[in-house]
Amino acid sequence: MSETVLEVRDVVKVFEEGAQRVEVLKGVSLRVAPGEVLALEGPSGSGKTTLLSIMGCILSPTSGAVRVDGEVVSRGDVRQLREVRRRSIGFVFQQYNLFPALTALENVEYALNVKGFAARAARHEAQQTLERVGLGDRLHFLPRDLSGGQKQRVAIARALAGAPSVLLADEPTANLDTQVGLQVLELFRDLAKQEGKGLVIVTHDPKVRQFADRVEGMRDGRLAA
Amino acid sequence: MVSLARKNLLHDRLRFAITVSGVAFAVTLVLVQMGLFMGLLAKATITIENADADIWVTSHETPNVDFAHNFPETTVLRVRGVQGVARADNLLVQFMNLQLPSGAEEGCLVYALQDFESWRLPWSVNEGDVRDLRRGRFVLMDRSAERRFGAFQVGDYREILGRRFKIIGTTNQAASFTTAPVVFMDFRQAQELAENAFQKTSYVLVKLLPGANARQVAARIRAIAPHNDVYTKADWASRSRTYWVVSTGLGMNMGVTVFLGVLVGVVVVAQTLYTSAVEHIKEFGMVKAMGGSNWDIYRILGEQALIAAVVGFALGGALSLGMRPLMAKLYLNVLLTPGFGLMVFVGTVLMCLGAAMLSFKRVAGIDPALVFRA
Repeated sequence: MSETVLEVRDVVKVFEEGAQRVEVLKGVSLRVAPGEVLALEGPSGSGKTTLLSIMGCILSPTSGAVRVDGEVVSRGDVRQLREVRRRSIGFVFQQYNLFPALTALENVEYALNVKGFAARAARHEAQQTLERVGLGDRLHFLPRDLSGGQKQRVAIARALAGAPSVLLADEPTANLDTQVGLQVLELFRDLAKQEGKGLVIVTHDPKVRQFADRVEGMRDGRLAA
Repeated sequence: MVSLARKNLLHDRLRFAITVSGVAFAVTLVLVQMGLFMGLLAKATITIENADADIWVTSHETPNVDFAHNFPETTVLRVRGVQGVARADNLLVQFMNLQLPSGAEEGCLVYALQDFESWRLPWSVNEGDVRDLRRGRFVLMDRSAERRFGAFQVGDYREILGRRFKIIGTTNQAASFTTAPVVFMDFRQAQELAENAFQKTSYVLVKLLPGANARQVAARIRAIAPHNDVYTKADWASRSRTYWVVSTGLGMNMGVTVFLGVLVGVVVVAQTLYTSAVEHIKEFGMVKAMGGSNWDIYRILGEQALIAAVVGFALGGALSLGMRPLMAKLYLNVLLTPGFGLMVFVGTVLMCLGAAMLSFKRVAGIDPALVFRA
């Protein structure tokens, strides 16, 4: 296994709108090792989510380099970005972003279908993953019938499915009460560590710190010293 | 495989019902209108299709089988001498007035031959023997005439152009496009009745020798009868149909109906699928964030359109079939053939897929980064 599952080096991101030019990231570099949990903190507008988008191959940096799972990601190559997302990245969001018409099992299974898993293999893995996050008895529940914590567990199972090497979470506890938030973080951290995945959590929530191996602060598009 | 398309469609049942209703409406409109049109057109050529004649010799520029013009009956003698002809006989087709017991007069379309049996006319006899027609003033009347003439029985008498004829039998299915009831009588009787039919005929029916080529024989007949038109069975049926389609504006009317049906279908399906696509935009963003491509999203929209097409067609088809008995009570024949049904089904699928494509542009530009937005 590579010593680094995710690396960004000297990443700059500039958004241009008409004559306006906003430099959101101003040369950010960081690495995430397998099994490492990195918390990324910072005030709103500091560039955390933009950095997460670049690490997740959703956005390309204006300059700088991104390496995921040992593969250098070319800037602007939409097909490669999509392929890296499909193969190596799992996302968890504040709003869960589950498909409301699909059951918990189908939400995970569908993600696996998109990743290229055949029907039977996808169903088997989806079921196993949901059992690992403690939702073996909620497989056929629609998201509307699940609590916030359960929804986030489904989202975690979906992120874990297909064995990506990098997990990226955007404010995963923001919609959960303290107790449930702690349980979800603990589960997320344990699963990431057991499976040797690099986990990056973007957060405002100070309680995330206790679950992280490393905490990086961001301010004005730079990592705080 | 999990079908997000199907699940999303069924998740919002009201929208699904609206989509399917739109498709079903369009399908019903097209099936019933076109079925009526084809049923009507079938009447325009029903005698041509059923008569056992391979070639029809007509007067020059006769537009359709009902609107016959007469020409000398001796033409048949020349036709009989043409190579490849097995048999040729005169057929008189003439509108005549028939007096009802009430004293009122109604028009009927008389088909007159000397030997009906050899030409399989009429092809569906209910009561009576067609061979008895040559014995005197007798007629066979189609049962559909009851709608215009009122009830009648075998043995009843009716006056045709002032002369009494005995009804010696009844037929089924014989019809004219003009809706004038069809009556069968002997050729000589008809010639005597009609002022313009003296020593005249409306058509010469031709039966070919085995192995003879209809087009070649028709060309030979044209050469010896230059003042007549000569058609193969298929060409004559086509000419008769075309006359009614073009001259009555029926074709244009059907074209407009089909266009409106398709337009309604496209608008409803496009509108509901587009609204659905917009409402699920974040989900599509999630599909892209997971590594899905635009094609994965196009497939979802395409599958939804296909489901709407299949369910809408089934519903519209069932509705149309259900309407047939009701239409039949109004003497309207909705002709629905498997081939036509298949054509409408393919059209429905294409219509729905086309409508789905209107949403493609909207979803093609989805930025997966929107998954980060609250």
